[in-house]
Amino acid sequence: MLSRVADSVFWMARYMERTNGMLRILRTNYISSQDEVKDFNWHTLLHNYSDAGAEEMDAIGNHSVKVLEHPLLDKQNGASVINNITRARENGRAVQDHITKEVWQCLNDYYHLIRDKHIYNQVKSGDPVTALDALIQQGMLYHGTVDITMARGEGFNYLNAGKFLERAILSADMLNIKLTELGYNLQQPLELPALRYLLYSLSGYELYLKTHRGNLQADFVIQQIVYNEHFPHSVSYCLKQLFRYFERLEAESLPENYKQLEFLIGRAMNNVKYSIINTADGDGLKRFLEQTRRELFGIAAAFNQYYFGNS
Amino acid sequence: MEWQSLLAGYGTHPRVWDEMFGNDGIRPAYRNIVSAIEDLSAGEMSHKDELAKKLFMSQGITFTVYSSGEGIEKIFPFDIIPRILEAAEWKHIEEGIKQRLKALNIFLKDIYHQQFIIKDGIVPAKLIYSCPNFVRQMVNVNVPFDIYTHIAGIDLIRDHDGTYYVLEDNLRTPSGVSYMLENRSITYRIFPDLLPRSKVRSVKDYPDLLLKNLVGLASHRKSNPTVVLLTPGIYNSAYFEHSTLARLMGIELVEGSDLLVDNHKVYMKTTTGLKQVDVIYRRVDDDFIDPLVFRGDSMLGVPGIYGACRTGQVTIVNAMGNGVADDKAVYSFVPAMIRYYLNEEPILKNVPTYQLEFPENRKIVFESMDKMVIKKTNESGGYGMLIGSAATEKQMEEFKVAVEEDPRSYIAQPIISLSSAPCYINGVLQPRRVDLRPFALYGPEGIDIVPGGLTRVALKEGSLVVNSSQGGGSKDTWVLE
Repeated sequence: MLSRVADSVFWMARYMERTNGMLRILRTNYISSQDEVKDFNWHTLLHNYSDAGAEEMDAIGNHSVKVLEHPLLDKQNGASVINNITRARENGRAVQDHITKEVWQCLNDYYHLIRDKHIYNQVKSGDPVTALDALIQQGMLYHGTVDITMARGEGFNYLNAGKFLERAILSADMLNIKLTELGYNLQQPLELPALRYLLYSLSGYELYLKTHRGNLQADFVIQQIVYNEHFPHSVSYCLKQLFRYFERLEAESLPENYKQLEFLIGRAMNNVKYSIINTADGDGLKRFLEQTRRELFGIAAAFNQYYFGNS
Repeated sequence: MEWQSLLAGYGTHPRVWDEMFGNDGIRPAYRNIVSAIEDLSAGEMSHKDELAKKLFMSQGITFTVYSSGEGIEKIFPFDIIPRILEAAEWKHIEEGIKQRLKALNIFLKDIYHQQFIIKDGIVPAKLIYSCPNFVRQMVNVNVPFDIYTHIAGIDLIRDHDGTYYVLEDNLRTPSGVSYMLENRSITYRIFPDLLPRSKVRSVKDYPDLLLKNLVGLASHRKSNPTVVLLTPGIYNSAYFEHSTLARLMGIELVEGSDLLVDNHKVYMKTTTGLKQVDVIYRRVDDDFIDPLVFRGDSMLGVPGIYGACRTGQVTIVNAMGNGVADDKAVYSFVPAMIRYYLNEEPILKNVPTYQLEFPENRKIVFESMDKMVIKKTNESGGYGMLIGSAATEKQMEEFKVAVEEDPRSYIAQPIISLSSAPCYINGVLQPRRVDLRPFALYGPEGIDIVPGGLTRVALKEGSLVVNSSQGGGSKDTWVLE
């Protein structure tokens, strides 16, 4: 496979995963901003998903519709969902001969959907949840289409490597956003609504209820997001899947390049696996999340250097 | 409103050949489509029109126009009523194009080698050496199987009596074939069962024929050659076509930056290292293909690729330097070429052409400018052109000055009215002018022409310009069994 093609496929998957993650967190945050959380503030989320300055963020920070429009539909915001979908489509367009026609059409439909004036009107003056649901549904259609139409070859492996790497970064980021909102102080009353919304954002609330019988505790929530190997959004699960798809690339890799990546992914997996999370130690938890994030970005950089020829 | 009333309002022009209506009413080729849709209401027709637009959009059959920093997705306008050719008409066209292409191909081989045609006084040397698309670097360069014009798009028009004329030969990187394929796939979505019932010949073999030829071009060097399609990239307006063809042929779609040349061999950069490339179907123009030989500022090509081609390590399709054969001034010598190389009379006629470098021709043309089309010899896409009947006095004066300054760069032709075909526009059936571009594939085993082509249509009322960049659209083109 051409290095450029591998690069584009990998990034297409990353942008699509990022889109899905952002839509879910925006949906959950919007609902929570309308629901029970008093003095809801979007600042931490905006900090992650916007390149606006502090002044601009302050201006929109407490206005839910405006704040939703910015990370969702604002083309001036480099990190917005609309820009992610556009980039995913541009990458898809550049590798149309390596993805199936169905996947390309699905991506293309996604692009037209988010530019549709109905979505804009729903966000601006209707029910933003309807718009977000439509977008999330199109994302699920994309994942299903990839799954049932793509051949299990090199392209599929790069797609999944990109997807799980991005998902691991997103899970670590979302956890960090919530914990930052709580000031990394988890010695608070037992039922933290913020944690429930975090689980909603990661599609993990139902699993949590089944595992812990409704007993919402910070350490259990964090355990699930970091370690639970049956939870498709946990950092551990994502790293394991990343390694699984990466291993399949061995036959199509130069041995020295493969070794470099194998080492980095293996190290990140072990660092997560053999860590201990202590909710009483907020600083330690913060350091752990920062280190995990650094390692994940290191893996992305290594793919770029050793597989995509962008040294 | 029903079809009958739509049909009743259809007004053909005198002295314009209409593809659907003859003196005796509807031509036989069109009877099937008329009977299929005569019971449809205007609402149903409009629904089909809408459906076609939606299908183009959702399948990403679009090109992006960038304005104020934002990309706007546009579809190449498509008219739902097909243009239909009888088997006998097609046979005539097919034979004519094959003959023409053979002669043009021999011309290219000759002009870049012994130049018998100049020595025998058939084509003036000055005409060739003053042609900006004559590539000196191709002189004495051998190409596999002596084939230069692997893919050709020959533009045909019809005069008021229905005679076919060749308007121009496109021998460099002709585009539009993906629309031939996609238009067909849209037609069977909007008119179920109509294609098999009308016994329309299929066009879907095109990618297979093209791939067979591309592989065949390197068969003397390798049993399983690597073939790639070189595109300028996703911002090129024909990118959709490049990616469609690459996918349909199952070959890599590469950009210039994916390739490198080492020791006169071309390689592509893959995740497992460098892989040698044997045949390149390039959709990058000559000027941009090798910055070491042609335009030094090109970022679209591959440095050293000309050398690789010259030493026979890679085959470039179409060959470099073909522009000399489809130059608009050289065009008028094609009938002479056919007689000279093949000893045959041309099957397809040329539009009479005046070379404006000769003062006597300039005099004739300037005296009847309102009946002439004046064209720049090295421009296409409907640019650099003056249609006398539609031009103002001022425009004519400006063109006169431009012609006098650089007469070699202009030719003139009498205005051919172009045939009209029915188009469904704004709920009304109206005649619009059309041309036809069949695509010919020249490979080691001969010339194949897929039965069909791209019918381009001038959607503006009264317009004779069918180019997509000038408000033109397209139609599905049926060839009947």
